[in-house]
Amino acid sequence: MLQYIGNRLLQMIPVLFLISLIVFMIMHALPGDPAQLMLAGAESGSVTPERLEELRAQMGLNDPLVVQYGRFISHALRGDLGNSIRLRQPVTQLIAERFGYTLQLSMAGLVVAVVVGMGTGILAALNQNTWIDTLSMVIAYLGVSMPLFWLGLLLILIFSFQLKWLPPAGGSGFKALILPAVTLGFVSAGIISRLTRSSLIETMSEDYIRAARAKGLPQRLLVGRHALKNALIPVVTILGIQFGGMLAGAVVTETVFSRPGLGRLIVSAILWKDYPLVQGIVLFLAVIYLGVNLLVDISYAWIDPRIHYGNSR
Amino acid sequence: MNVRRWTPIFLSGVMLVLTLALAACASTPAPAATESGSDGAAAGEKGGDLVIAFPASSEPASLDGHIDPYQPTWLFDSFVADPLLVQMPDGSYMPALAESWETSEDGLTWTFHLRDNVTFQDGTPFNAEAVKYNIERVRAPETQSAQMANDLGPIASVEVVDEFTVQINYDEIWVTLLDALRRMPIWSPAAAEEAGLANFDKHLVGAGPFLMEEWVPNDRIVFRKWEDYGGWNSIQNHEGPAYLDSVTISFIGEDAVLGSVVSTGAADIARELPTAYIEDYRDQDGYEFITGYQAGTGLQMVINVRNAPLNILEVRQALEYGTDQAAANDLLYDGTYLVSYGPLNVVHPCYWDGVEEMYPYDPEQAKQLLESVGYRDEDGNGIREAHGVPGVEDGTPLTLRWTVLHHEEIGEAIQAQWREIGVDLALELVPGPVQLERVNARDFDLIYERQRSPDPMILDMVWNSRWDEPGGWAWTGFVDATLDETVSQLRTNPDMAARCELAAQAQQIIMENAAVLPTLSQPVFYGLNDGVKDFQLASEGNYFYLHNTYIQD
Repeated sequence: MLQYIGNRLLQMIPVLFLISLIVFMIMHALPGDPAQLMLAGAESGSVTPERLEELRAQMGLNDPLVVQYGRFISHALRGDLGNSIRLRQPVTQLIAERFGYTLQLSMAGLVVAVVVGMGTGILAALNQNTWIDTLSMVIAYLGVSMPLFWLGLLLILIFSFQLKWLPPAGGSGFKALILPAVTLGFVSAGIISRLTRSSLIETMSEDYIRAARAKGLPQRLLVGRHALKNALIPVVTILGIQFGGMLAGAVVTETVFSRPGLGRLIVSAILWKDYPLVQGIVLFLAVIYLGVNLLVDISYAWIDPRIHYGNSR
Repeated sequence: MNVRRWTPIFLSGVMLVLTLALAACASTPAPAATESGSDGAAAGEKGGDLVIAFPASSEPASLDGHIDPYQPTWLFDSFVADPLLVQMPDGSYMPALAESWETSEDGLTWTFHLRDNVTFQDGTPFNAEAVKYNIERVRAPETQSAQMANDLGPIASVEVVDEFTVQINYDEIWVTLLDALRRMPIWSPAAAEEAGLANFDKHLVGAGPFLMEEWVPNDRIVFRKWEDYGGWNSIQNHEGPAYLDSVTISFIGEDAVLGSVVSTGAADIARELPTAYIEDYRDQDGYEFITGYQAGTGLQMVINVRNAPLNILEVRQALEYGTDQAAANDLLYDGTYLVSYGPLNVVHPCYWDGVEEMYPYDPEQAKQLLESVGYRDEDGNGIREAHGVPGVEDGTPLTLRWTVLHHEEIGEAIQAQWREIGVDLALELVPGPVQLERVNARDFDLIYERQRSPDPMILDMVWNSRWDEPGGWAWTGFVDATLDETVSQLRTNPDMAARCELAAQAQQIIMENAAVLPTLSQPVFYGLNDGVKDFQLASEGNYFYLHNTYIQD
């Protein structure tokens, strides 16, 4: 297992290198000069060409691209992702400040997804082909098919504007987290619900369940102790993938609910051609995504004894 | 095996605990958007905790106005730091930290006499050395001041005459110094030095009515009343500190939320209220609706006159005659925007109303002008083609590009109007970087260019061919020696009446040559809870003062 983890970590190096190269190239291929963009926002007064040139030199934008990329990589290896051009702060500091909000939102979203998704999935499976099953699956399909921003606005309309229970915007406090988490989690809940339902129905028709039922085991124990345990293995696995998706979904959710976070930071960084910031965030998210996937693969072997990595049998 | 059975439940539990822990860490006792209201004011006492919702797009990159070039930055700075002088709602300059000022006869030296009883919020004294420090900080290369250094102009030296007198010397006349100084925050030198350039905007310290408490980027900025404030600003109508206990700026990312935050009680004021929500506030019980206007160019579309067919005067004039701005205003904004007729909008102090008579909406006149240069619709598809138009290949349809950053709906309305005169308008909505690429390559037909300032010098910026260079604002390629000479004088003539006369001449030349298509001017709409009292708009509609504001139960 350790060898497997080591191999996976080694594999991450070329992936991250390629990601950084691609992001660097895309950012530099996009139109726009960061120095001019910074000055173009100015409200009144023009800036001399000398001033523009001075600013470009101060930003290190006059060096050849290879030099700029080399500088970025060598600093990144030492944990220094450079300074944001526009916000003039270290990229690592900006990521550290904002990631907590995005992580908080993604994890709260995951909790919603697990509770709602598994709950409706189990209910549907145990009441197959009844109105409960139909209702649960309607909810699941709604979750899968509803756009995030629309669901978010709908929830704001009902719970903030009509009922006035929860704030429509902001990033401070637990109350401000509820609506964004429900919005983000509801989409994944749909997927988890369908997966739980089909997996549990399949497990319930297994021989060992029939045997347990024949022995007279009560339904509660049958499901709780035997069926659910096996049925949820694929669900747990998919949570990792959903978590990655939630980091991406946070971009929209953070905008609708006016929450601070990495999603909004990267959108503005792209618009301002803030090279170091975009590169830093993308690299950071790539590490997180790869890390979560690795954890999922490891936990898969841990949860299901039939799965082995490496040479052991 | 037991461990595996409980794994899903355990993982969910861990996530829930971590989420709650993170929520607890991220939350602060600062007033959340929902906690607005006037509970801070006891009966008979003026006060309150004011929450102002701003669109998220208004949030500055840096809160230090010496560095950042945006108006919201200077507005937020004005809560923390009084400037040397203030521009009153009527446009006049009045004392703030400077008691009086004068210029030398040659106009090269400005002398400011400062108040002698002011201390900064950190207890350090305000004096001539502090003013010198602030000006030098703006001009230092390491500050990378994107705008303010430019606005202060080519200062030769700053001299401390005595403890409370400071002199600013120029080698050439710089007439817009007061306009720069009314925006420039005066920071505590000790605090600025201690925090350093990169971090000072998280710990602003000045001599203004409010202390900066915190800035959570993409979320909020919180200010608290400074109890020791001495009311050093002419805008304040009472002695001592401001009334409000706190001011929270809440940045809202979604228009629908911004439009409803006041009506739902989540904020007291919504700035830049989306047009669709105006009716929720205008003439409604419990609310106040304020429209702020801003002097400047309006949402003008400058015309690239370098290439055919827009290098032909008659074609440009036809576009002017074929455009009905008032109809677009009624159609799109229920008439709430201001119609523009020339290169300065109608609320500009130097607006010349002669432009209103120059191009009344007259599609027939437009058609005649187009036909006179050889644009006819011979294939009957509704769009004219070139037939002997100089510089244009015969048969080329008259298609023009309209490049904008926002307000594309104005383009859509005019697209329909121009179809009537046989002109095909292609709309291009681009982000800022692409707009600049277009400008740099001079690859545009009509492009959005807005400048906002009550000073007529914006005419020099946009229309003096001297600024047709990288980083300059003269994008159109229009060159006229008389115009260049006229707008150049706006930089050196200190007499406002004479400057407005020069500006009038410039407006006439620009419109005679139809080098710009004026459209509309966007007002700044404010929706207020009517418990908010004495909220004062500045002479510019996107500026306001909170020195006298309070919330009434």
